[in-house]
Amino acid sequence: MRRRNFLKTSVVAGAALALNFDGLQAALSSNTMAVEAAPELVAVMGGEPEAMLSKALETLGGIGNYVKKGQKVVIKPNIGWDRTPDLAGNTNPELIKALVKGCLDAGASKVTVFDNTCDNWQKCYQSSGIADAVKAAKGLIVPGNDEKYYKEVSLPKGVKLKSVKIHEALLEADVWFNVPVLKNHGGAKLSCAMKNYMGIVWDRRFFHSNDLQQCIADICTWDKKPALNIVDAYRMMHQNGPQGKSAADVATIKSLIASSNIVAIDTAALGLFNQVKKLDIKAVGHIRLGESLKLGTTDLDKVNIKRIRI
Amino acid sequence: MKKQANYLKGLRVLLAILFFIPILLFFIDFDSKLPNSLHSLLHLQIIPAILGLSFGILVFQIILALLFGRIYCSTICPAGVFQDVLNRLFCIGKKKRKGSMRFKYSKPLNIFRYLLVGVSLLFAIFGFTELLVWLDPYSNVGRIATNLFRPVVVWGNNIIANILMGMDNYALHHVTLKTITASGLIAGGLALLTFAVMTVFRGRFFCNTLCPVGAILSFISNYSFFRISFNKSVCNTCGNCERTCKAEAIDSKNMTVDTSRCVDCFNCISSCAKGSLKYRFNPVFKKEKTTEVPLLSTPSSPLSREANSRRMFLATGATIATTLPVVSTLAKKTQTETEVKGETGKEWGPITPPGSVGLEKFKDRCTGCHICVVKCPTQVLKPAGLEYGFGYMLRPYVSYKSSYCNYECTICSNVCPNHAIKPLTVEQKKTIQVGIATFVIDRCIVYTEGTDCGACSEHCPTQAVHMTPYEGTLTIPKIEPELCIGCGGCESICPVNPRRAILVKSNAKHAFVEPPLEEEAKDVVIDDFGF
Repeated sequence: MRRRNFLKTSVVAGAALALNFDGLQAALSSNTMAVEAAPELVAVMGGEPEAMLSKALETLGGIGNYVKKGQKVVIKPNIGWDRTPDLAGNTNPELIKALVKGCLDAGASKVTVFDNTCDNWQKCYQSSGIADAVKAAKGLIVPGNDEKYYKEVSLPKGVKLKSVKIHEALLEADVWFNVPVLKNHGGAKLSCAMKNYMGIVWDRRFFHSNDLQQCIADICTWDKKPALNIVDAYRMMHQNGPQGKSAADVATIKSLIASSNIVAIDTAALGLFNQVKKLDIKAVGHIRLGESLKLGTTDLDKVNIKRIRI
Repeated sequence: MKKQANYLKGLRVLLAILFFIPILLFFIDFDSKLPNSLHSLLHLQIIPAILGLSFGILVFQIILALLFGRIYCSTICPAGVFQDVLNRLFCIGKKKRKGSMRFKYSKPLNIFRYLLVGVSLLFAIFGFTELLVWLDPYSNVGRIATNLFRPVVVWGNNIIANILMGMDNYALHHVTLKTITASGLIAGGLALLTFAVMTVFRGRFFCNTLCPVGAILSFISNYSFFRISFNKSVCNTCGNCERTCKAEAIDSKNMTVDTSRCVDCFNCISSCAKGSLKYRFNPVFKKEKTTEVPLLSTPSSPLSREANSRRMFLATGATIATTLPVVSTLAKKTQTETEVKGETGKEWGPITPPGSVGLEKFKDRCTGCHICVVKCPTQVLKPAGLEYGFGYMLRPYVSYKSSYCNYECTICSNVCPNHAIKPLTVEQKKTIQVGIATFVIDRCIVYTEGTDCGACSEHCPTQAVHMTPYEGTLTIPKIEPELCIGCGGCESICPVNPRRAILVKSNAKHAFVEPPLEEEAKDVVIDDFGF
């Protein structure tokens, strides 16, 4: 079979070469570009969630770079609130659906989705549209509502947070994706990739009573890092976060950012946020604290960024 | 003579199953898998209908009893059917004389039971529903199911859920019950024990002595059109019917059936080999034609059954009337006592669920069946013990210790059969203020530690609690009372222990806030990433 395929491809390629199509030239040149170093951070604007995700993944070299055949994958969106997708309290369900599908197509043995929600978990899973989206894509949506699902993990690099209980789905996973929604936040000031980590732990109250900003940075030092952070900024809650009151709190800015550098992605996301509402990076303490814990850089000039408009 | 097929009993059992099983399942349905519309079965219950002033249902029940006697007690009433189930369980493996035919006729305790129901209802009118709370058959079964059966089912669920989870099956999920309180357990246990002991020793003794519904229906069924009666000409006084009658209402020697205590179970019909006992159209006005000996009368008593009963009822009424002033002062005294206790025992009075209008109204109508406790998806409702005084015992209160009232949820108001919690739409619920958040700055993390927190504001659905500039980049909570609905989001998540920095102070009478503004979404167009 392989030889036959090879021969077929050769014949087609040969024929194409002989005819010297313009399109082929372009394809070849774009191919060489992809072989060049993939960017560290990709930002996409102007498309639907699914299209922006596939553009971003493509630019980063394809999902196969992150998910290998037979691996157990966890996707951690923000499903904190009993809110419908148009109110932007939770990660966009279309995005989650596309990502689950992408992981399964890449050969993942199972794709699990969960969040330790703030509102009643069943209502959150339902209202957010994420439960249905995951099921439609043949992923597994699992509860995170009980302490029983969480196991103690130590965080040697943490400053205030030295050990924490993390959801077992994540502990068992081979790969995980951190998929927050970008929004304003009353306590942490900005809720993005780093803040989204709070949904993987059981006891959030500890965070609030022991220097919230430091604890957010601390939890990100857990040695099992997400393969990729994918920030959903299709709809962005720019005020009254993290829950929001009405559609007036939401701006539809149709953007998406992806990077494995969590400090860089939060810094970039803050830049995007600032296009709608002004917020000083000093107020979002955990970003700088993350940088000092060597989780990434806030200096975006040092980051290879690819900006794409659809 | 060959035994005839007893269709009436079959019908009774069928109806009992059709009412009892859904009601029982509704009470142990910890994950709200069943349709909420099942609550309509609870509305048929008589005490809830009385307290909820559901006139339609009361008229229906009166007509039903007037036509057929106490059919309610053997089919619709979950306590009646529950006692039949207990009785059936007790009879397993026993000989007839020790099992299903262990009963014998007893004299009715009419003065006691009519007085008890009179006093209970009278007290209830004056806002002291405590007697009804303890005596209402439906609520007692509710408490047994909620506090005893439901935990067992949840425990079983968790075992199976864990096994399934190991196989990546999440059809079930682990549930941690937070609504089991000592008072709920004690009340449920006490009710179960009472039913079990009374059933084993005296059959339907509860229904014919303690039960207020039983007493009301007794009075009506004195006049019922259809009733069990003897055909004296064929009866050989073998006594089987008397031994079968769990209501202890059949006197086989005198061939009388005390219709007021008969619960229409129709077991006696099967027990009669001669076919003497039948459920006959035998109304009071047709009396002269009947073969029946008047109720309650010994041969020396000339009283007709309804005259006797009426006299009893009037006597009871008169007794009650004379105690009226005493009752009213007593009720008033208890009310004030509750308030005082509320202030000293707990800082503030209990928070009552949205739709309950206020503490007094709620207390006057709730009989503590705990269906709201079962149905609350966030488990924020808990049965009270003595923390809010004796007068509030077993009523649910809203506890923000580890949970809060979901902004979009109105389930408790929709299932309450007593209308102690009045039905609400989500829009109405969002305007009801059950309490007001109060902020104690010197306990707040932002003030004491100088670090960011904002957990309270984060959980506030109306942003009544919002963050305002404090020192440097820090922000600190501020409360807009006119936006606060008292949902407890803030209190439940405040990380300060043991006394929270933000607490919801109950409104003894619920207040109203403006409905949330329908703000138009502004189109925001950006064309730059900003980085």
